[in-house]
Amino acid sequence: MTTAIEAPRKPSVLRMLMRDVGGTISLVLVVLILLTALLAPWISPRDPYETDLLAIMQPPNETYWLGTDGQGRDILARMLYGLRVTLAMGLASLIFGGVIGAVVGFCAAYYRRADGTLMRLMDILLSFPAILFGLALAAIFGPGETSVVIALSIATIPLMARIVRGSALVVMGLDYIEAARAIGMSDARLIWRHLAPNCLSAIFVFSTLRLGQVILLGSALSFLGLGAQPPLAELGAMAAQGRNFLFIAPHISVIPSVGIFVIVLAFNLLGDALRDALDPRLRI
Amino acid sequence: MLRHAAQRLLLALPVLFGVLLIGFLLMQVVPTDPATVRAGPQATAEVVAAIRTELGLDEPIWKQFVLYVARLAQGDLGVSIINNVPVSQELGSTIGPTLELMFASLVWSIPLGIAMGTVAAYWRGSFIDRIVMAFSVAGVSVPVFFLGLLLIWLVGFQWQLLPFTGRGGPLWTLDGIKAVILPAITLGGVFVGPVARMTRTAVVDALSAEHVRTARAKGLSEGIVVRRHALRNALIPVVTLIGLQIGFLLGGAVVTETIFSWPGVGRLAVGAILSSDFPMAQGTIIVLSAGFIVINLIVDLLYGALDPRVRQS
Amino acid sequence: MRAMLRRATLAGLAAIGLGGIAQAQAPARNQIVIMREIDADRYDPHRSTALATGEVMTMLSDTLVAMDFDMRTIRPLLAERWEVSQDGLVYTFHLRRNVTFCDGKPFTARDMAFSLNRWIGRTQPRITSPVAWRAGDVKEISAVDDHTLRYELNRPFGELLSQLTLFFASAIDPATVERLGDNFGVQGFNGTGPFCWGSWTPRNELVLNRHQNYRWGPDFYQNRGPAHLERVTWRVIPEAASRVAALQASQADLTQYIPAAFVEPLSRVPTVQRLRQPNYFWDVFMGFKVDKPVVNDIAIRRAVHMAVDRNALVRAVWAGQAEAARNIVNPNAADYDAESDRMVPAFDRAAAIRTLEEAGWRAGPDGVRVKDGQRATFLLYAINTLDNQRMGEIIQQALRQVGIEMRIQLFDATVAWGRLATQEFDAFFLSYPYVSATDALNLYWHSRNRPTPNRMNWADPQTDQWLEAGRSALQPEERARYAALIQRQLAEQAPWLTVARTQLNLFASNRIQGARAHGLYGAGIYKGLDIRTVR
Repeated sequence: MTTAIEAPRKPSVLRMLMRDVGGTISLVLVVLILLTALLAPWISPRDPYETDLLAIMQPPNETYWLGTDGQGRDILARMLYGLRVTLAMGLASLIFGGVIGAVVGFCAAYYRRADGTLMRLMDILLSFPAILFGLALAAIFGPGETSVVIALSIATIPLMARIVRGSALVVMGLDYIEAARAIGMSDARLIWRHLAPNCLSAIFVFSTLRLGQVILLGSALSFLGLGAQPPLAELGAMAAQGRNFLFIAPHISVIPSVGIFVIVLAFNLLGDALRDALDPRLRI
Repeated sequence: MLRHAAQRLLLALPVLFGVLLIGFLLMQVVPTDPATVRAGPQATAEVVAAIRTELGLDEPIWKQFVLYVARLAQGDLGVSIINNVPVSQELGSTIGPTLELMFASLVWSIPLGIAMGTVAAYWRGSFIDRIVMAFSVAGVSVPVFFLGLLLIWLVGFQWQLLPFTGRGGPLWTLDGIKAVILPAITLGGVFVGPVARMTRTAVVDALSAEHVRTARAKGLSEGIVVRRHALRNALIPVVTLIGLQIGFLLGGAVVTETIFSWPGVGRLAVGAILSSDFPMAQGTIIVLSAGFIVINLIVDLLYGALDPRVRQS
Repeated sequence: MRAMLRRATLAGLAAIGLGGIAQAQAPARNQIVIMREIDADRYDPHRSTALATGEVMTMLSDTLVAMDFDMRTIRPLLAERWEVSQDGLVYTFHLRRNVTFCDGKPFTARDMAFSLNRWIGRTQPRITSPVAWRAGDVKEISAVDDHTLRYELNRPFGELLSQLTLFFASAIDPATVERLGDNFGVQGFNGTGPFCWGSWTPRNELVLNRHQNYRWGPDFYQNRGPAHLERVTWRVIPEAASRVAALQASQADLTQYIPAAFVEPLSRVPTVQRLRQPNYFWDVFMGFKVDKPVVNDIAIRRAVHMAVDRNALVRAVWAGQAEAARNIVNPNAADYDAESDRMVPAFDRAAAIRTLEEAGWRAGPDGVRVKDGQRATFLLYAINTLDNQRMGEIIQQALRQVGIEMRIQLFDATVAWGRLATQEFDAFFLSYPYVSATDALNLYWHSRNRPTPNRMNWADPQTDQWLEAGRSALQPEERARYAALIQRQLAEQAPWLTVARTQLNLFASNRIQGARAHGLYGAGIYKGLDIRTVR
């Protein structure tokens, strides 16, 4: 970590991002993805659940730009709505897990006595791969979006805690924190005003990269039948349903799979570019 | 060194306890009563009551936990609700294929990843570097099932080159090798990216290190400098990082096994969860977690043994 | 550095090369792989009613009498001949001699009596077969001597012999049952069939080996035994696409589990044979629990009939490989009533809306109709199969258009049967095989058969009375008359929507010869005595 104390200003980050080709492309892609997800109900050509029984498993054509699935539903519409569900699942896990993880990280950095216990706890959580949380939660609560979100949140907590603690510790070593303490600034205020802003870039980079991973994991769980359940439009579940027709209508599973790939790729590229722009020495 | 090992072992204990607790709680909070499920749809109330007693479901909860840990210690993971087969027996027959698949995936992906990472680091900033890095970002972004489905569709179906349904036999037979190729490419394929990326970072660091510059200054050939000095030093963190990525591999393995009908623990776990076979689900989760903990522990200890900095602390 | 790259490249090339070589190797002679979608929970003919059990049970063991490929003619099997008393109450079976179990032990009438008594819950420890009623109203089943079996009924049962061809009436060895206890059919089996239990890894594969001494196959096979095949592996491959490709690539040899969408394309593949069975009655339906809110309203049930376009649905889901249905009974089955076929509400969306409006179901704020504060919503349970998924989503959409909400919950096959025995749901999808109208109606509509298989909770004294009268009727016309009365009553009341009449398509690789589609209780292969490999 650097000793930069001022929070990075947004315009400069943006400009630095745009300097890099990968950064520009990924930024545009991410903005497009977010916009599409937000506007899905308005831009979707039709209802994602409407079945056209006379147009089953059609390849892409003028009426159905991305073709239809096994039940004659418009894949384009399902992609648009599916994007929302997939993104929502990812964002929810990132926010729940991230907030808890960040609180733990700040506490560990600030209250040195709690550090050992907290980080050992995080180590324990870190000892389980995310997929195991997914399996366990699906076993307990039954397959569904909620199970996936809880599992991925839990898997995100220790990662975020480590990142935040690491960044916060650097700041903690600086004199002015001691000074602020000396003048009687409250703990909460100190963390909020001085620690948090200095960890923002790390949190930001980590979150972007993590969102990609979480989406990948969530879609894999849905693909296995442990996440979103049909008929809900979700990219992983769509790919799983389409797998049955792989040899007669490959587009049904290939299109949602490519969709996931593009989304995750966009977030990963953006994360890399952000890291290079904000702080190249960050090891995330 | 010893202290490091002891610390790691001590840390593994609460983790193991956590695994046991999660496994136990899993059986406690499931919405279905195991006794009713096991008794079947036609059972009378007396039969269900008898099964409850047999399973110890009427005991207080702490005692149930003790009973459960005692049973586990004897290798008794219970029996499947669905067909009465002992869970340990099914795990025994599925763990081999899973290890086989992991081995077959790592045996090519790690060398390839290291080679790619080294090349990229050596010609840092060049076109090759960019290609390698693009490839590795794509590798960490591609859903495992997408890769698997593409291979099945193209290699298995269109070209009819290789089988893609289940295991053909042990790895030393031709059928066995044939059947493992596509799953191993799928699972290894998503692993090459992270390995290349980690290797690149490590080698870049190593190349800029003092002794490498000294070696170059001494006029040693580039090949020797890279192999003897840079790569060897870079390998330590790479090996560790690979070990830590086993969890990532495990996630991929579950999906790969499902797509290729590979008779491994992952497929067993998914099947058990989908069919609400709680003892089986619990057993698979415990075994997968325990395996993961053991691998982590070994990697940790290995790291301690290899890296002088850790040895000293 | 370069050496390393070279090594990596070589390894990659070697891997590709190996693939090419490996392709050339052929599977062993007279060993075949049969593919299926799901495994059975156990292989005990009295504790499982699943097709997954039945299709293997016909290979593992035999019944007193066999069903010919025409699905009508009863042929000798373990019984070489039999007599029926004038009043239709006493059946005397004369058993074939020199029949042995897989372990070499001679098969006697006592073993058969034990097997049949176990089926109807008269042995210790008591087993309750869900289909014990198929054995008729039994007074006593006993062995007269080693080779004579006496089967006595309390009331005549015209269909007894055809019921006795089903796998529930299989002969099993009492000693093995006792030895394995709860693990009978899990850790082992001992029957008289053409194949013997080898090993079972649940949800993966079941291996059967040839029964070397088998000589007593039914006479509709050219080969009476032993089987040509030395080893049969029943392999579970849940993914439809994988089964299709495996068959095409000759990695597996036989399967009846090809989704309708693949039937046409696969039939065009030159290396694959398609075997059909026209005498096949296996219907897919949606049943309603007639005592649950919302679906207890006949208007709702009739509206569902009118809202679903069965023709389009069947074309979409079964791709022309099934027929859209109306009446509960197949027109080709005995005792089918054509009049009730016309009485079943036909597809007419406007009529559906009209029916609902007239019954007081008014459009609600969220598009779902409401009546007296009750929303027109119901919960459907079904087994999680591709067909059920697709059918469910299509019907769900069709009902949404008339203002009825259908919630779907699908369960893995292994748990579904348990869930389908509960009262938690309002409607369900199932499919079932039957022999005749009387058989089908008796199975589902007698109040005695609640909660399963009468999951509709249909309890109507009039229906019961007609069923009883039909069962005991000795004249076929009389039986047909009662069957017709029930069919009309059900058409009017609409407690179940027959969706499709499916077909049996058995697909075989060109590596094997002599396979023929049978289809008794849905099992495509039956004994498989004539099957052999050609390379």
